[in-house]
Amino acid sequence: MKKMIWFTTILVLFVLFIMPGIMATTINMIPAGDQPGYGPRRLSIYGKEELSQKFISNNKNLTAIGTTIKNPNLKNKKEVILNLYDNNNNLIRRSILNGFNIGDGDFVKFVFDVIPDSVNKEYLFTLSSPTAGADEIIEVFLMENPVDMDNPASGIIEYTFAEETFAGGIPLVTFHKPENKWEIIRGVYSNWLSKLLFPRSQKTK
Amino acid sequence: MKKLLILAIVLRLLVSAFLFHPDIKTYNFQASFLKKGVINIYSYLIENKANLPLKDEFVYFPLTYFILGGYQAVTSGILGSGFDSWLADAGANSVVANPSIFKYLVVLKFPYLILDIAIAYLLLNYFKDRRKGEKAFTLWLFNPFTILIIYAFSNIDIFSVLLTLIAFLFIKREKLFKASLFLGFASCFKLYPLLFIPFLFLKGKDLKEKILVSFTPVLILVTVILPFWSPAFVQSALISGLTTRIFNPGFAIGFGQSIIVGFFILSALFFYGWLTDKKINLFNYWMVFLLLIFSFSHFHIAWLLWIAPFMIILATKKPSLSLPIFILSAIAIIIPMFYQDRYMTISLFRIYTTWFDLLPTPFVVLQKLYDPYNFMSILHSALAGGALVISYQILKKEEEA
Repeated sequence: MKKMIWFTTILVLFVLFIMPGIMATTINMIPAGDQPGYGPRRLSIYGKEELSQKFISNNKNLTAIGTTIKNPNLKNKKEVILNLYDNNNNLIRRSILNGFNIGDGDFVKFVFDVIPDSVNKEYLFTLSSPTAGADEIIEVFLMENPVDMDNPASGIIEYTFAEETFAGGIPLVTFHKPENKWEIIRGVYSNWLSKLLFPRSQKTK
Repeated sequence: MKKLLILAIVLRLLVSAFLFHPDIKTYNFQASFLKKGVINIYSYLIENKANLPLKDEFVYFPLTYFILGGYQAVTSGILGSGFDSWLADAGANSVVANPSIFKYLVVLKFPYLILDIAIAYLLLNYFKDRRKGEKAFTLWLFNPFTILIIYAFSNIDIFSVLLTLIAFLFIKREKLFKASLFLGFASCFKLYPLLFIPFLFLKGKDLKEKILVSFTPVLILVTVILPFWSPAFVQSALISGLTTRIFNPGFAIGFGQSIIVGFFILSALFFYGWLTDKKINLFNYWMVFLLLIFSFSHFHIAWLLWIAPFMIILATKKPSLSLPIFILSAIAIIIPMFYQDRYMTISLFRIYTTWFDLLPTPFVVLQKLYDPYNFMSILHSALAGGALVISYQILKKEEEA
């Protein structure tokens, strides 16, 4: 019986206090922030209809861009391409996914090689599905407000669609490769402990 | 004993505070309308769906609504003014970012702690032999399975489980009518205790008692649900997927008919008890029925709690079965962890950080090495095989006795 008491006690403590750290070691990239809220307005992307989005990377080691994409009736099974340009309009990264792997309403990450010196730099990306027909559209949402009210420093600047440019854009999240695993482990525990031990200093929405 | 109990409570409070399944927020959001005077939650949710931040229907029975809603009203002073807005918050990230979440979870799961400890004490007093009772008490408090099922998954089935166990205590004392009353109350939370009625019928001494103990639970259930009977109630609670899933699996026999495995098992046990068993031991029939149901159906992790106290009793009665029961319990709890539901594993830890959203589920990880469905099938087959042998042993030993 003693063995069972020890086993259960150690297992529960392990799951609660050690497991999150182990899980943290398997994270390869961390988001710069939460995804901004989005409204009902959507843009359809297919053929020559592509989206251009300007943003500022708030952190170094930019390695992915994620946003919510609709693939109505899962009809798009063509290439969905994200081209990333620097502020001199040089193509610096490309990430290609197949529509087959994009569910309707999935949060989709376009992953590319790390850009080490990305902190505070302005970038532009295009999102397209050039071989998709009008019945194979994918759709991206637009942010509710041009400026993310919950996170004004999200870095989202402006977007261009159908040759017109507007403030704001799609609810994107940038992802960054951490310097080392300890950075992530520390981040996980400090987030949890600060909420637990210093609740008044935490932002509540 | 006292020290053990304190340790058990501390472990449970820690799991309550740090592991979060969103179901507890959903059904407490729905139960919060009792404070605002809503009596029929089923029609209210359907009529106001468009204006509500959470659109889910209330899938539980009325008694659950009144108990949870009443508890919220009583503890509103502790929960504080921000609680209702937290319940109504539909943002996946802001919900776990709220620093009051630890307090909310501990308070909301506190009734489960009371019921959980009550089950431990019932098990302590289940056996005449004090040592056996203490073993059952310790096994209940210190097995990782029930701690996880009750506190991580916020399992509301514990109401039914406690009442079913009380019913068994009365059965043990040959007080069938009182047992049928408690089975009736148990079925007001979850329908599954009604499945025990055929065995209660067999146990009745004469036709009068057989009818009395069979109809009493149904009558209690009907009395409680009748005022709420409406298309909304039928659709949300009575024929919800969770209620009927137990009788879903079957195999076709042609011309549109099929053998429903759950009913097949129930019928086989009923006729076995009727035709071959001279002195029916209801505990054994209930154990065998549940073991076989879990073996041959795609069960919800919450269902495992139905059998848990009876497993503890069995392991205490027959120590040679302790290890096989532990292994089968581990298999049974691992299977749902490979369902394609993030909240079976990784997302339970979202309180620590939402970065865990980036991690793949065990299903996806396994997919890179092996077909996860095959893996789950292997585990389920192992569970079924082991459960069949244990069931055979339970019934055989009873025959020998």
